[in-house]
Amino acid sequence: MYIKHTNNLCYLFAILFLFGCSNKSIPSSAKVNYLSSIDGTITVRAIGVGENQLAAIADAEKNAFEVLFFRGLPESEQKVALIGSNEIEENQKYQTYFDRFYKDQRFKSFLMSSIPTAKATNIKGGSKSIAVDIKINVIALRKDLEQNNVIRKFGY
Amino acid sequence: MSLENLDIKTKQMKNKIVIVLMLLMGSIISKNAICQSQNTQVNTVQPKIMVIPYTKEGEDIRTILEQDVSRRIAITKIKEGFDGRGFTTVDFTAKLKAAKDNSVFTSENQTDIKAQIIQMSGADVYVQAEVSSLKTETGSSVTLVLTAYEASTGNSLSNKVGESGKFYTDDFGKLASKAVESCVADFLNVMQVKFTDIVNNGKSVIIDISFDANSTYKMSSELGPDKLPLSDQIEMWMEKNAFKNNYHIQGTTALKMIFDDVRIPLKDPTNGNNYNPNKFALEIFKFFKGIGLQPTKDIKSSTIYITIK
Repeated sequence: MYIKHTNNLCYLFAILFLFGCSNKSIPSSAKVNYLSSIDGTITVRAIGVGENQLAAIADAEKNAFEVLFFRGLPESEQKVALIGSNEIEENQKYQTYFDRFYKDQRFKSFLMSSIPTAKATNIKGGSKSIAVDIKINVIALRKDLEQNNVIRKFGY
Repeated sequence: MSLENLDIKTKQMKNKIVIVLMLLMGSIISKNAICQSQNTQVNTVQPKIMVIPYTKEGEDIRTILEQDVSRRIAITKIKEGFDGRGFTTVDFTAKLKAAKDNSVFTSENQTDIKAQIIQMSGADVYVQAEVSSLKTETGSSVTLVLTAYEASTGNSLSNKVGESGKFYTDDFGKLASKAVESCVADFLNVMQVKFTDIVNNGKSVIIDISFDANSTYKMSSELGPDKLPLSDQIEMWMEKNAFKNNYHIQGTTALKMIFDDVRIPLKDPTNGNNYNPNKFALEIFKFFKGIGLQPTKDIKSSTIYITIK
């Protein structure tokens, strides 16, 4: 009787431990690196993950914008975040803008080019990963953010 | 046509007229609403920014600018950067020419000219550009030192060093242009961060409180209903009225009290209109009147001078 209870308890702990491990979420790195910038454009190399190659490219493009918006790119002319570093708060505050930006694919209009550096590779879980060289029109992006009152215009 | 039909048609006509009238009324109301909202919209007064060249002591800035095209190019490229952000700067050359035409200044004391032009322009912020060219056997280069300051308080807003890189060329204008391009965007981004801080935490003003030569009062004079020393009463008032309780006392003596950094809001919290040092000076004036003193106030840019008689 006692042994049976002990075994049950062991199973319970094992299950709890496994669930605990699977639910542990580690924030992924942005995987966006600065390449060059000329006349109001910034070129970055971003890594994206998705079900297929297209989804992976879209993820890479989104990552590039997210880093520009909320982190900034060291070495580039946009060292400081375009919007702010608190992405959760900013996303809630300007939810309508970001919905239109990503879901309606408005972000595509600020992309000057998006060129995969190699073929997508298979990763664990059946997903694809791809590195993409992305050129962003930062001047137009900043103007758009200003016009939609997401960021303030230059000055007070 | 029967009477019944005629009645129905009259009713339909009436309905149509009512709909047209309602639509007209609606458009008039909405137009009025738009006009009212336009009237109530307050545009924030923007800081005046002036780009000036750096000059060493004794250097004639007019001669330097007129003779050195690379400095002119650097200044123009910096202004271009501001224009790119939709911001208009005060033109230094135009102000310099106006000063020359008006024969207000002489070229004997260059440092004074620079200071006076800044005062005359009413610039809140000035951007100083130091351009230095270097020609060696391994190539030519231009280094640019860009600094932005608040004219009244001297608070630094942004600082960057730009490099053109080395090239085998004598075109220093092009090199100056490259040096500006290498740092101007980042320079403006840092400036904008500081401007946002000013919007959130208030604009910095200096308050200088002193006594008239014939005044019988001192900072230790006990005044008002509570009979507290004047300096303490001033600080208590500042505590309540400085934006977000943000103020700094440089020092207090028997005859002087200087606040070297008092934050005031950009917008009046009561009505949302633009707020400025003049309005804050009026509030200080009212406070001194309230405790039975006779003050006079002078305002120069962001410095408020209060003299108690």
